[in-house]
Amino acid sequence: MSMVPDRLAAGGRLNALPFWMRSVLEVIGPDLHGGGVDAPPQPASPGWTAALSLTVATALLLIAAGHGAGRRGEADLALLLFWSGIVLMVVPTSFRIVWPSVGRSERLVLLLLFAEGLFCLKILYSPTGFADYDEFLHWIAVDDLMTARRLFLSNPLLPVGPTYPGLEILATAIVDLTGLSVFAAGALLLAVLKGTFVGALFLFYERISGSPRMAAIACVVYMGCSTFVLFESMFSYESLGVVFCAVIFAAEAGSKDLVGGSRSKAFWLVAILLAGLMVTHHLSAVYAAIYLGAVAILEMLRHGASRREIGLAAALAGVVVGLPVLWSFAWGDPMVGYLGPVIETGFKALFHRNIQDTRVEVMGWPSEPLGMRLTTMAGILLLALGCATGFFRSLATTAVGAGAQPGWLAIGALLERRWRDSRIVFLTFLAFGFPISVAFRLNVSGWEIGNRTGTLAFFGVGLVVATSVVYFWQGPAARRWRVVAPALALAVIVLGGVTAAWLNPIQGRYRVGADAESIEPMAIGTALWTKERLGPGNRFVADRVNLMLLATYGRQDVRIFMGAGISDSRVYEPEELPPDDLYALKHGDVDFMLVDMRLSTGPPVLGFYFQPWEANAGEPLSPAALLKFDGIEGIGRIYDNGWIKIYDMRGLHER
Amino acid sequence: MSVENRDLPAACIWATATAVAVAVVGDGTPLRVLLGLPMAVLVPGHVLLRAIGIRTHSLLEHLVYAVGTSLVVGISGGFILNAVGALTPAGWATWFFLFVVTASLVAARRGGASYLPSWPRPAGFHLRHAVACALAASVATGAYVLAVRDEAKQQQYEYTEFSMLPSIDGGRLIVAVRSAEARTQRFDLEVTIDGHQLAAFRSLAMAPGDVWTREVPVPLLADPQKAEARLYRLEDERLYRQVTALVPGS
Repeated sequence: MSMVPDRLAAGGRLNALPFWMRSVLEVIGPDLHGGGVDAPPQPASPGWTAALSLTVATALLLIAAGHGAGRRGEADLALLLFWSGIVLMVVPTSFRIVWPSVGRSERLVLLLLFAEGLFCLKILYSPTGFADYDEFLHWIAVDDLMTARRLFLSNPLLPVGPTYPGLEILATAIVDLTGLSVFAAGALLLAVLKGTFVGALFLFYERISGSPRMAAIACVVYMGCSTFVLFESMFSYESLGVVFCAVIFAAEAGSKDLVGGSRSKAFWLVAILLAGLMVTHHLSAVYAAIYLGAVAILEMLRHGASRREIGLAAALAGVVVGLPVLWSFAWGDPMVGYLGPVIETGFKALFHRNIQDTRVEVMGWPSEPLGMRLTTMAGILLLALGCATGFFRSLATTAVGAGAQPGWLAIGALLERRWRDSRIVFLTFLAFGFPISVAFRLNVSGWEIGNRTGTLAFFGVGLVVATSVVYFWQGPAARRWRVVAPALALAVIVLGGVTAAWLNPIQGRYRVGADAESIEPMAIGTALWTKERLGPGNRFVADRVNLMLLATYGRQDVRIFMGAGISDSRVYEPEELPPDDLYALKHGDVDFMLVDMRLSTGPPVLGFYFQPWEANAGEPLSPAALLKFDGIEGIGRIYDNGWIKIYDMRGLHER
Repeated sequence: MSVENRDLPAACIWATATAVAVAVVGDGTPLRVLLGLPMAVLVPGHVLLRAIGIRTHSLLEHLVYAVGTSLVVGISGGFILNAVGALTPAGWATWFFLFVVTASLVAARRGGASYLPSWPRPAGFHLRHAVACALAASVATGAYVLAVRDEAKQQQYEYTEFSMLPSIDGGRLIVAVRSAEARTQRFDLEVTIDGHQLAAFRSLAMAPGDVWTREVPVPLLADPQKAEARLYRLEDERLYRQVTALVPGS
């Protein structure tokens, strides 16, 4: 029996295609399987909500126990406890959220519970302090702001940071109003931001799809983005920027059916939010500009759009492009200097041109357990399947007359510029960003750009995969495997997001050059010693991890260059200091140098000891190279704990 | 004041209470947190939405917009306080107080802006559900406590810190030992300057967590001198730590 529906087969030329091709076209095609999206919802079930709250809490307990086992060096037990907890949190919650007949409010409460549960992963990993490199960069800025009580102070580890002080301002406001520590204030702010993001995302999808069920599924899909669990939960400006994006998108989509004064007020609401975004995060401002600019262009192209609609869309696009450009240029355009090299290196790596990725050649990829890699791969494949089966269906949902012109004819209406909602058209095409982001992530140099592309692309991926689930995989009255299989697939997608977010999500023993995994009490104690015994504000150089500990716990003035053009790594790496570098050290202004002998015990996990651009990235450091400062006249080793040594360079300057 | 507008004086009272708490209540107390956090992330946005006259259609929509605009109010406040040199706790309290009161007055003068989405009361919510939710909160808190406890107990490295710093006037050397070992250890400590013994301390017993500090007087000379301190571990009679410092000339 043919799988091709009669109306498609009756469509003329398609009938002449081979069977396999017709089958493929049916699977990926725009057939919406008869219209109705949502099954009649049941009233919200407090029983399910309470039971799932207990389930998530139990999962968190298992995860905390897993970290504890990891800290004690019991790796196998840690794996078992941690991943049991993750599965216990993800699978039942996502099953209930995407179940066809669940009420709107219950879906919403469970989405918030799920999002905050995933946020707690980061808190349980490091419960009393920041752990990731980006977080330290912003912690330094908050500390500086709270010490000097003024904005726009330079940040040597993040030169672009002072131009975008939104997060630091808010964190300072909370610290000053509540009297909490920076970490506690930051964690509370991030928890609020996570809930707001998911709430805004739900509103956004609900507005454009008209279905709470599709909105909830799209939110669950977004949680499968590699940046959702960790990157957008860090104390870092993108975590605030992406929340502004989601609220702006929701407010703009919410204004589409308003008229008169209400529409104008909604415009002002979006403009206010855009002003906040402009001073918060450069890349998120670009995301908003891309989205609102593309929607404005599509509104201009749309057949039957009113002048008022086009005018409002164009005005918003003007604001969203104009404000960040003005702000950036007012500060000497630091954004281009910061993002330009990242984008250039990423594209070069993608197309294998003129790129010498030493880290890839020498170190290879940072290793991940096989199970994590397989889960990530499964998540990517399921997302690709969802995108393939949802792309044309998503377009068909907004095609004018899709009901009267079923199948591929609905797509024809789009070619005639007949669509109802430009947002759906753009988001559907935005989903193409997902395979591009995956391609970037396949090499170390392009990883950063691929990671950040995913944040924007998943706004589209969420909609397309949700359309696929609702219209193709489940349908309006799903039974048995049609309910279970898509729910299971969505759970795997979220698990894939968790595994893609971390190199190693479980606390464990110290590892060399691994950012969060290299932070442990001894190094923190050394940084605290510098503040206590040397006082704050001394000019320090060190490896990447100790540098951020010195800047935050130690409140030292850290440097990534010894002098003009001489990076830290150039002085640390050779076994004998070349005369040129010694001359530069003598005439430089560095007060102290920290040497961590643990760097010589293994290769750096991330591929570099000091900074990504170090000349001999990936090459091991020898103990003799690190100890060479003992033999230089004028340098004194003032601190030694067996592993970490601090050298006083001030005597060198006097010679 | 109509019943629908009661949120506006409530917001003003909240802002006043926050300002008072910032002035008189200690840092990090639950009262400061309960008042201060909503003041930073919710209340200003709520009154701003009321002042602009934006009607929201659900509690979720109202909360999302209120948080979003509160964040913008906070950031704007940061720039204004920076401009007037008042980025202090008192400055923040004043900013939020003035903003909330002003926006509330504007909102109160608006006609027909009194709509507020209702709080949906969950149907079928019984005591057993509340108990389960409370239990869930307790278990989640327990997970956090466990994580904090495990982090505090983590000690991959056992070590002894040894340091020597010249005093600011150069007349003394400050020698310090701190033990982060797993058990008590005994040390001999010697301090020399330009090869001549300056001080010696015998059989120092350092239990885990102990800190030992001494100031050793140094004869000041015209030229800089090189001081060296050595820490010998008696258990295996080996040089355990060695630090050096340059004593500046007079």
